[in-house]
Amino acid sequence: MGSDKEKDKIKILLVDDEQEFVNTLSERIQMREIGANVALNGEQALEFVDNEVPDVMVLDLRMPGIDGIEVLRRVKKQYPNVQVIILTGHGSEKDEEEARRLGAFDYLQKPVEVDTLVTRIRKAYKQQIESSFMAGTFAEAGEFDTAKKYMDKDKNKDKKKK
Amino acid sequence: MNPETEKTLTFFGKMTANLTHEVKNVLAIIQESAGLMEDITAICPLTEKKYQEKFNRSMATIKQQLHRGIDLTTQFNRFAHTPDRASAELNLVDTVGQFCLLTERFARLKHIGLTAGEPPANERIRLTTNPVQFYMALFFSLESCLTALPADTEIRITPQKKGGKSPAIEYACTGDHLPPAEEFFQQLQAADAWSELREMIGQLQGEVECDTNDLRFWLIF
Repeated sequence: MGSDKEKDKIKILLVDDEQEFVNTLSERIQMREIGANVALNGEQALEFVDNEVPDVMVLDLRMPGIDGIEVLRRVKKQYPNVQVIILTGHGSEKDEEEARRLGAFDYLQKPVEVDTLVTRIRKAYKQQIESSFMAGTFAEAGEFDTAKKYMDKDKNKDKKKK
Repeated sequence: MNPETEKTLTFFGKMTANLTHEVKNVLAIIQESAGLMEDITAICPLTEKKYQEKFNRSMATIKQQLHRGIDLTTQFNRFAHTPDRASAELNLVDTVGQFCLLTERFARLKHIGLTAGEPPANERIRLTTNPVQFYMALFFSLESCLTALPADTEIRITPQKKGGKSPAIEYACTGDHLPPAEEFFQQLQAADAWSELREMIGQLQGEVECDTNDLRFWLIF
């Protein structure tokens, strides 16, 4: 379990249209000292992100309205440092390929053990901190191009993998 | 496979994949709700120890059955996507594992064990084929074995490379109550499923090879 300090620090957003699932998951994550907010569809998620950028987003793919892939695409375009973990009950390899291509940090099958999810969230947060720190350092020094490179680090990493 | 059959299979595949997705959501809600109860009692245990123990036992059963349900649903979801493509590259180790998990009950009903065997370590065995027809060939082979074998025997299905190169699936029958090889192969070949297998393996451009000394046969591709 994490510390209180960590609870204040990590901001996560859980996005899933299964209300019972996402609310219970949120409670369990909060019991592990990580603050979690909930959005019940793609539109809510995008609105939330515009008001308060999370560090890590846990995102379902199949949702009515704007689906998870589109949410991922828009979030990574506007806020490349937000780490997105896909958590879906859909078993398509094509979806996983597409999500990773768009910069998803991880792709998990639903349901997942909460401790496994929390471990991945912490890992994603660590990466988010590293990217933001490096970007901030270079931005302060006026090296905006290098800062941008760090902001886009995940995207670049993903392209290299391909 | 004719286009009409392909359309029908794709339709059933889509409906089934959609349904398994919904079942996964149900299982996920049960898992999280049970997990939350467990989290709460970890922080604040029940006042009487015997009730806490009963609670823990009951929770362990729920979790065990949940894992079973999740495993089956995950494999079934993948299976439901089988008709998505007329030709696909299959990882035969995964495919055989999945097939055994989904068909184990057919064997259990006849008191016959069914296991997926392991190929030599790190061997990648892949085959590009029609996934639906490949599953059908596996199933007809299993059904033939179940017709020819008595209770308290075992079937082990192992992907391997026959002669070091051709992807193959070995069906090996073991146990204390095995019939003599001659009788086994007579019954095997008399089974309706065996004729279906012959037809299917022809469509897949494969062949069946039997080892009449050892109650084994191979589907070779």
